[in-house]
Amino acid sequence: MSHNQNQTSKLVGLLAEFDDPDSLVHACDHARQYGYKAMDAYSPFPVHGIDPAIGIQRTKLPFIVLSVALCAVCLGLGMQWYTNKYDASPIFPGYAFKISGKPYFSLPANIPVTFEVIVLSSAFATFFGMWLLNQLPRLANPLHRMERFKRATNDKFFLMIETGDAKFDRSRTESQLQQWGAVAIEECRQDLTDIKLPSWLKLGGVLLAVLLLLPPVMIYRAMGMTNRHPRLHFMPDMDWQHKFKAQRMSPALAEGSYLFADLRSARAPVAGSVAWGHLDTDGEMYRGIKKDWTPKVTATATVGPSVSTSTSSQDAAAAPPQEPTEKVAPPAVVEEDLTKYVTEFPEGVNVNAELLARGQQRFEIYCSVCHGYAGNGDGLVNARAVALNATGQATWTTAKSLHDPIVKDAEKNPLGRIFETISVGRNTMGPYKDQIPVADRWAIVAYVKSLQETGIKPLLVVDPAAADAPAVEAAPTNSSD
Amino acid sequence: MHQTRPAKITSPIFSLKDGYVRTIPLALIVGAVGIGASLFFSLGDGLSDGSLRRFYYIYLVNFCFLLSIVVGCLFFVTIAHLTRAGWSVTVRRIAEFYAACITPLFILFLPILIPVLMNSDVVYPWVHGGWSLHDKTEAAAIAGLPLAERPPIEVMKAAYLNPIFFGIRIVAYFLIWSAMAWFYLKTSLKQDVTGDKKLTLRMHAFSAPGMILFAAVLVFSSFDIEMTLSPLWFSTMFPVYFFAGAALSAWCTITLTASWLQQTGRVTDEITTNHYHDLGKMMFGYGIFWGYIAFSQFLLIWYANIPEETFWYNQRINHDGWRGFSILLVAGHLFIPFFAIMGRTARRNRKFLSAAAVFILCMHWVDHYWLIMPEYDSVNKTFTFNPLVDLPCTVGMIAVFIAFFCLVARDRPLVPLRDPRLGQSLNHVVH
Repeated sequence: MSHNQNQTSKLVGLLAEFDDPDSLVHACDHARQYGYKAMDAYSPFPVHGIDPAIGIQRTKLPFIVLSVALCAVCLGLGMQWYTNKYDASPIFPGYAFKISGKPYFSLPANIPVTFEVIVLSSAFATFFGMWLLNQLPRLANPLHRMERFKRATNDKFFLMIETGDAKFDRSRTESQLQQWGAVAIEECRQDLTDIKLPSWLKLGGVLLAVLLLLPPVMIYRAMGMTNRHPRLHFMPDMDWQHKFKAQRMSPALAEGSYLFADLRSARAPVAGSVAWGHLDTDGEMYRGIKKDWTPKVTATATVGPSVSTSTSSQDAAAAPPQEPTEKVAPPAVVEEDLTKYVTEFPEGVNVNAELLARGQQRFEIYCSVCHGYAGNGDGLVNARAVALNATGQATWTTAKSLHDPIVKDAEKNPLGRIFETISVGRNTMGPYKDQIPVADRWAIVAYVKSLQETGIKPLLVVDPAAADAPAVEAAPTNSSD
Repeated sequence: MHQTRPAKITSPIFSLKDGYVRTIPLALIVGAVGIGASLFFSLGDGLSDGSLRRFYYIYLVNFCFLLSIVVGCLFFVTIAHLTRAGWSVTVRRIAEFYAACITPLFILFLPILIPVLMNSDVVYPWVHGGWSLHDKTEAAAIAGLPLAERPPIEVMKAAYLNPIFFGIRIVAYFLIWSAMAWFYLKTSLKQDVTGDKKLTLRMHAFSAPGMILFAAVLVFSSFDIEMTLSPLWFSTMFPVYFFAGAALSAWCTITLTASWLQQTGRVTDEITTNHYHDLGKMMFGYGIFWGYIAFSQFLLIWYANIPEETFWYNQRINHDGWRGFSILLVAGHLFIPFFAIMGRTARRNRKFLSAAAVFILCMHWVDHYWLIMPEYDSVNKTFTFNPLVDLPCTVGMIAVFIAFFCLVARDRPLVPLRDPRLGQSLNHVVH
């Protein structure tokens, strides 16, 4: 080992080599008793009793971990309080949603997440606290440039007394080490010629930090924005597969060559084809329209402009507000033909307690969210939307009360029309024919009529004799409340 | 420099000597007086109408408390062999003695078992019918079901919950436990004489199937003995809860016994600070495990909010007296020991650790009181604490249990004398 001038290298400490763990521990004992503090021992395996011999205090790591874990309790609970309970922050609003009827902030539900936060924080505190206490990361250690020191991981034992120690003296320390049983003593020198960081490393670090900031900035910028560009396709051959899909444009078999001249993937169905299981010839059952009714061509021809006038009126959910009068309407406002709807339940729908119970159950699943359990138009979705409407965060037409006189009127809203409303929607109400099977839709119609008649939510079990009456006989009563 | 100790017993006294001869009659007298006083006062208990119901319930509380200690010690012995543990050799014999107490403990269960076999529902409500009928309409309305004809729960559970099958199962549990416990104790004692290392291998080989057997028996015994007091309740987490408490109380009992033995001048050299340190770690870890399991059971039931499950917690949390007990459990069974024995210094202090063990054992008793006693008043589930019945019975049962321990231990060595891992245990060091 060449140690020339003070400019090129610096003495770090004296490294003493020992042959066995016992002599190392003895030397450590002596060094500690003499008063050395800046020293360290190196051995291939943990040596019993080396910690007290070298004067190492018990680690403070457990206290670091405990403090971090206690902070994690606050962090975990605070995070959940912020996201679940506190919904008013303008920058990052939380998610104050009611779930399973539980309180927004409730300790039992928050313990698992808090527990996980404690575990994760404690693990990090242990790992990085150990780094901190050991002054890691240390990019270079002069010991690793000494040939002799390589055997510290194999079969030799070392004690290094560092120059930083107040009692360090080059010649006295060497003689002491010799006296304490060192078999070899060597100077450990740090090379000062290439001690500096490469100049590009700092610039690179700054650039990396800036680059790392980009994703959060982009996410923040995109938050709450709409985007008119198509989304990115990372695997286009998966998103657009080269295959034939029913009744779509076919992929090209070769350049400019398609299976059919009209570029379709399959032939169009023959006119009048009916999909399997969708014959639905019984119009009364499937559409709520009388068998003997035929559409009047003149009335439907000018339906286009009239729709806009009728929807712009105040009355949103149910029947148009015009009085049901003449058959022939003025050209501006086309009269809806109310006579086409059935006024009684079609054949095959037996109104009884079972049907009403089914209707109630389906109604409470599909309809009550807007129309409310009692049909007053005060469902939870409606309530929330009205609240948002009031602050201008959404536009919303309130759900119709089923007890509205017009909705209740059997002439303006015959049974078939209610069925049609459920099936294809009306005004802002959407269609439900894909969600609710036909029989269930009739059950809901029966339940709606019974709701309108009683005005309150009926009991679970309805007497069959009483249940029949309101559903079918509702038409002539025309109550005014 | 660290010195290696030879694998030799150096304590002057390493058995109870003739101490057990004096202790057994004394303990039995205390036990008879305590249980007798409890019986006497139970006749005058307001709720029980002179039917000894109060006595049976507090008797069951103490039986479950002692059973969990014994079963926990059996677990300790099994897991020590299963993991080929070296550190625990010097405290293993104490656990072997406690585990072998399972056989006399069966005698203590007879006062519970015989009324069941004689078709009396003084303890278990399922012996007679009618316990699942009273809320049938209510349950149907809650579930939104029509009053369809499905058999009541007691009919569906009758194949399992009937006195004869219950008796068969109880006998089977105690037979299996006794066989395991005495196998370990006998083999270990034989090794004291012969020093044969093959005996250790035999215990290792038995420990793996033994652990499976132990787990199966523990699951069903905790269902049968403790959970069927509330036969309508559902919780598959309950056996784990019972196990967590059992293992925790076993660590505490072993610590306490070792500390008491050393206090009286026995096995002074063999059980070192390092063993207490590790026992303390186990107490700490199983305390957290108990809290984890207790909370898991609670969280699932709380979140699902199904009436068939929540009523059990409802009566323990929303009734004034039991609410206090619930809070006491959370604080005393989990948080106070958690912070008390978290530190290294606390664990390495024998007296402090013994005090912590006593405290945790008290909390474990409270735990069983909290599990069992709300069922005593089967209608109102009100909080009742009758010190004249409850305390003498507790003192008496513990005294009888000490007599059992002395009866098993006698003048047998309190440490394995020639275990092949004895040296490893004597030189055990914890950093």
